[in-house]
Amino acid sequence: MLKYIGKRLVQSIFTLFVIITIVFSLLRLMPEEGYLGAAAEKMTEAQQEIYLTNLGLRDPLIVQLGNFYQGLFQGDLGKSITYRTDVPVVDIIQDKMMYSILFGLGAVALSLLVGVPLGILMAQFKGRWLDRLGTGYIVFVVAVPAMVYFLMIQMYVTGWFGWPMLFDEYNPISFILPLISMALGPIASYAMWMRRYMVDELNKDYIKLARAKGVKERTIMFRHVLRNAFIPMAQYLPATILFTITGSIYIESLYSIPGMGGLLVDAIQRQDNQVVQGLVIFFSSLGIIGLILGDLLMAIVDPRIKLGKGDSVR
Amino acid sequence: MGLYTKEIQNISDKSNESLFDFAVADDSKAEETAYSNYSYWRSTWRSFLKNRIAVFLLFMVVFIIGFTLIQPYLPSQKSPTEIYINPDTGMQDRNVAPNGEYWFGTNSIGQDLWSRIWEGTRTSLYIGFVVAMVEVIVGFTIGALWGFSRKLEVPFTQLYNIVDNIPTTIVLILMSYILRPSVSTIIIAMCITGWVEMARFLRNQIVILRDREYNLASKTLGTPGYRIILKNLLPYLISVIMLRMSLAVPFAIGAEVFLTYIGLGLPVSIPSLGNLINEGRVLMMSPDLRYQLIFPSIVLSAITIAFYIIGNSFADAADPKNHV
Amino acid sequence: MRKYLLFLTCMFVLVLAACSDKTDSSTAGDSNKDSKPVEYKTVYSGEIKTLNYLKTSETNEFAVAANLVDGLIEYDEYGIVKPSLAESWESNADATVWTFKLREGVKWMTHDGKEYADVVAQDFVDGLNYVLDAKNESSTSWIATVVKNGDAFNTGAITDFSQVGVKALDDYTLEYTLEGSTPYFLSMLNYVCFFPVNGAFLAEKGEGFGTTRENFLYNGGYILDKFEPQNERVLVKNETYWDKDQIKIDRIRYKYNKEAATVAPELFLRGEIDATSVPTSILDQWLNDEDKKNLVRQNTNNFYTYFYALNFNPQYDAQFEPENWKVAVNNKDFRKSIYHALDRVSAMLTNEPYNPKDLVSNTITPKNFVDVSGVDYTQLEPLKAITNNDSFNTDLAAEYKEKAMAALAGKATFPVKVVMPYNSGMPEWANRSQVIELQVEKLLGTDYVDVVIEAGPATGFLGEVRRPGKFSIIEANWGPDFADPSTYTDAFTEGGTYNKPELAEGYQEANGKNTYQNLVDAAKVEVEPAKRFELFAKAEAFLIEEAFVIPYAVGGGGYVASKLNPFESQYSPFGVTMEKFKGQTLLEKPMSNEEFKSAKEAWEKERAEALANASN
Repeated sequence: MLKYIGKRLVQSIFTLFVIITIVFSLLRLMPEEGYLGAAAEKMTEAQQEIYLTNLGLRDPLIVQLGNFYQGLFQGDLGKSITYRTDVPVVDIIQDKMMYSILFGLGAVALSLLVGVPLGILMAQFKGRWLDRLGTGYIVFVVAVPAMVYFLMIQMYVTGWFGWPMLFDEYNPISFILPLISMALGPIASYAMWMRRYMVDELNKDYIKLARAKGVKERTIMFRHVLRNAFIPMAQYLPATILFTITGSIYIESLYSIPGMGGLLVDAIQRQDNQVVQGLVIFFSSLGIIGLILGDLLMAIVDPRIKLGKGDSVR
Repeated sequence: MGLYTKEIQNISDKSNESLFDFAVADDSKAEETAYSNYSYWRSTWRSFLKNRIAVFLLFMVVFIIGFTLIQPYLPSQKSPTEIYINPDTGMQDRNVAPNGEYWFGTNSIGQDLWSRIWEGTRTSLYIGFVVAMVEVIVGFTIGALWGFSRKLEVPFTQLYNIVDNIPTTIVLILMSYILRPSVSTIIIAMCITGWVEMARFLRNQIVILRDREYNLASKTLGTPGYRIILKNLLPYLISVIMLRMSLAVPFAIGAEVFLTYIGLGLPVSIPSLGNLINEGRVLMMSPDLRYQLIFPSIVLSAITIAFYIIGNSFADAADPKNHV
Repeated sequence: MRKYLLFLTCMFVLVLAACSDKTDSSTAGDSNKDSKPVEYKTVYSGEIKTLNYLKTSETNEFAVAANLVDGLIEYDEYGIVKPSLAESWESNADATVWTFKLREGVKWMTHDGKEYADVVAQDFVDGLNYVLDAKNESSTSWIATVVKNGDAFNTGAITDFSQVGVKALDDYTLEYTLEGSTPYFLSMLNYVCFFPVNGAFLAEKGEGFGTTRENFLYNGGYILDKFEPQNERVLVKNETYWDKDQIKIDRIRYKYNKEAATVAPELFLRGEIDATSVPTSILDQWLNDEDKKNLVRQNTNNFYTYFYALNFNPQYDAQFEPENWKVAVNNKDFRKSIYHALDRVSAMLTNEPYNPKDLVSNTITPKNFVDVSGVDYTQLEPLKAITNNDSFNTDLAAEYKEKAMAALAGKATFPVKVVMPYNSGMPEWANRSQVIELQVEKLLGTDYVDVVIEAGPATGFLGEVRRPGKFSIIEANWGPDFADPSTYTDAFTEGGTYNKPELAEGYQEANGKNTYQNLVDAAKVEVEPAKRFELFAKAEAFLIEEAFVIPYAVGGGGYVASKLNPFESQYSPFGVTMEKFKGQTLLEKPMSNEEFKSAKEAWEKERAEALANASN
């Protein structure tokens, strides 16, 4: 097992290298106007050239890449250019991360606490009113565009209760709506998949056998069905938790939460290469770790799954 | 000694040719052993028909698709892009509430919302279907190979990690910069990055299944890999694939709405549900104009709900255990 | 980190609160702890990237700096120059050497309100040195090259900054030597590139200068109390400011909200903020509502000029027949037919449906920009006739169409394809393009023109579409940089990247240049303002009369609900002055549109008097 993890990690470093190199090259293909901002209109060609040269954009790609990796090995992600001029990328990420993580974890917890039981109940009472109600909710969340009902919740609910519309660190009341809004989608999707897997599992022969043998319905549900149904979910869980860090672009925008949501999109649109690269490294690492953890968790929950050749003892 | 050697030599001589015969896997013979008058798809269809709501919604989707196609040729239809001028004032017929002339009203520059919505639905459904098809085909092929073959696991995991971690926004900006914003640009951009999720999903399913005993048995019996995938795994997966696929259409439409939100969608001169909803979103707080948000939202919701429910009941129907 | 702890605790409390009942919510919040200091609150969606005023050229960035740091001069509310850090100044006869006497006793303050140093003449030298040093990547260096040897230093031709034309003669005397005669140099001082900086502080902070409120020195009306990008920034009154009686708002609180356009009007109604723009989409509803209709008013125009440029060097795809366009556009009658056919008011309805005429402009140089002893530049002959007549004229359009068809018969194929691209990131522009396509085609007939509207990329539009000339007609804009009409000619003279009117056929003069270029060159060498402006007016009238461009509108406008009085703020069409809060007060309630209109009228009258007085 350890050997397998080690191997995966070594591969990941290589993957990371490829990702960064590709993203780095793609960024150099972007239109150059973005670097100049509002000044583009007024500068002469020669002045633009000087400006771009000073940014290091006229060096050969390989030299730029070399400089970047040199900095990276010294633990330096570089400084922002057009997002927050001259501020280290690490500082930018650090400032914003905590807000997104805290909101994200809150939302994941809330959606697991509500979504999974909802899915289980729906499967258990398949076809009855609870199932219909749950399905109605899921359908609503999936069907109505998120940006419509997020805005609706913000505008009307704050109006009814007299709550502040914007996020305020010192006023816990203002956390409630963003948190709930953030959890609405995941609750629906957890419930939906949980129900799907449970129903699939309940149709299996061993369940029929268990029922025929007179095993208690409770035991069937929790010891057999739930465990098996949870396997596919387990795969995604670590990545879901890690990725709470990226924040939610809609909700953070609406409520003025100074989190990570939209940071990547902003940085790309402003062509702040340093920030984009920093974020890509950061997010890719999380993604890769999430994948490894997901595979591990899956293997732990389901002993039938074997990972890697070396460990196949069975 | 000499005698035995001869004997053994004889045996090994014979064994080369006729002593053992390799059995050839014969598809038609394999089928002969199966349940004779059972057709998987017919049974699936039959059990799908039992769900009345789903059947109704299926008709609705077919109707919507059909209607978007024939709507421009119906009598007294307006053009989706033409700006209508009010004959009394000589100005554009802006923000006209729904009436006999403009069935769904007009937008802020005097275009007919009814025809814009159908034009937009057409665009969005087209994007949704193309993207969903590509996602499922590419996703299944890659996902199956990735999950099934241990040799390919490492390179595919790498490929997944790479593609998954290149931000879609960069790809989209570059695409719209190189190819100009258009429907095909958005389809290409969504396909380039979209298949990975499907591939990963299927790979996980296959990893769960591939080491089950019946597959191990198949393998020991020398069944080739592609056969295991197509005959052992695919039927098992068909229900989740169907569900995914039916969700992929509304997801692609939703993705288009999101892209419009962050400013990378289609230009407003090409109506799409994303454009219409994004334009209408700012009007939510003014009751008189809210119809500009509500109509496109209803169409989007109806399509999404229909696909969702059809997908779910089809997934139920596709599970052989639910057949008689 | 402590902040996060607090935040965590709050989260925990929230979970508890969510379990208990939620009735006590209305008492929460710290809105009215102390009602005494005047506070102005607003939300914004465009974040600034730096406080470094020596580097930026973006309005929202120097808008912040303008309130934190003072320059040599400022303007009063009518746009007349008045002393700021310079108490007095003089120039030599041909306006090439300018000497400033500085105000004594002005202090540089740190973020926590401690005195750091005196503001002295050397600070201005250090500021200019930083701007002109190419390695600092300043995007305003191009304007600072008006100073002698500025360009040479910027491009690295000379490396010794003492050769550049700026000297601190003593601690309180500053002298600029310019490249050439520049009568409008004072107005350029309104730009951030001529702002002072404390050299020692700048050297100490290096690249960190202007990245945080700590890495910044203040000598203006406000000090940054909080600066958290994408969250909040708070400006508080600088109690040691030299002119502190003029600072009437004690605290300015900006809250970041990316969705400000959607959320802000509602926040304003609930009293959580003091100003918001009111998008046209919800304007109807506000104007029809008894409670709300007196809250909203028109916004002031700015000095960006928008126009349609006819391209004389089309470089687009062969399928749109650029050669055919080239033949057509070189025919004056063809150009005039489009000039008269374009209904600018109906195009303007896409972003100003109520008072479209308030934004439409008949000239490239907007009204109220410069004047000759109280007479506005746009009212000078021969520009006057153009200013006072709407170019949209269906009869003339039809007449010129006939002429053009006759003249071009056999030379050009009809309908002429007119490629009109727009930026797909700007929905209003897209809407406008559709309106124009329909309107022009309907008026001139599809047998004559075929307008093709094309979506350009949202990122890199100018570089991809306008600069390479991939258009027949394009909507473009230009903003002024100093108080001289020559600032509006740059786009159309040789080296401009707009529509290359120098390539127009039939305007070549004896010296090898075209007529417009010669008119502008003649105006530029004239130093005496009255004559100079008349010559520029002549050039501009020629440019429009020959229909090389079609003037369209001025920027700004729209509707706001705001507790600020726009006529109290310092006024100038360019530079940082307009962005200052100095002199502004917070009204009890927002101006209604009637109040705004009458205030505007009064202001225009007072301004004309003030200008006439100033020129005497």
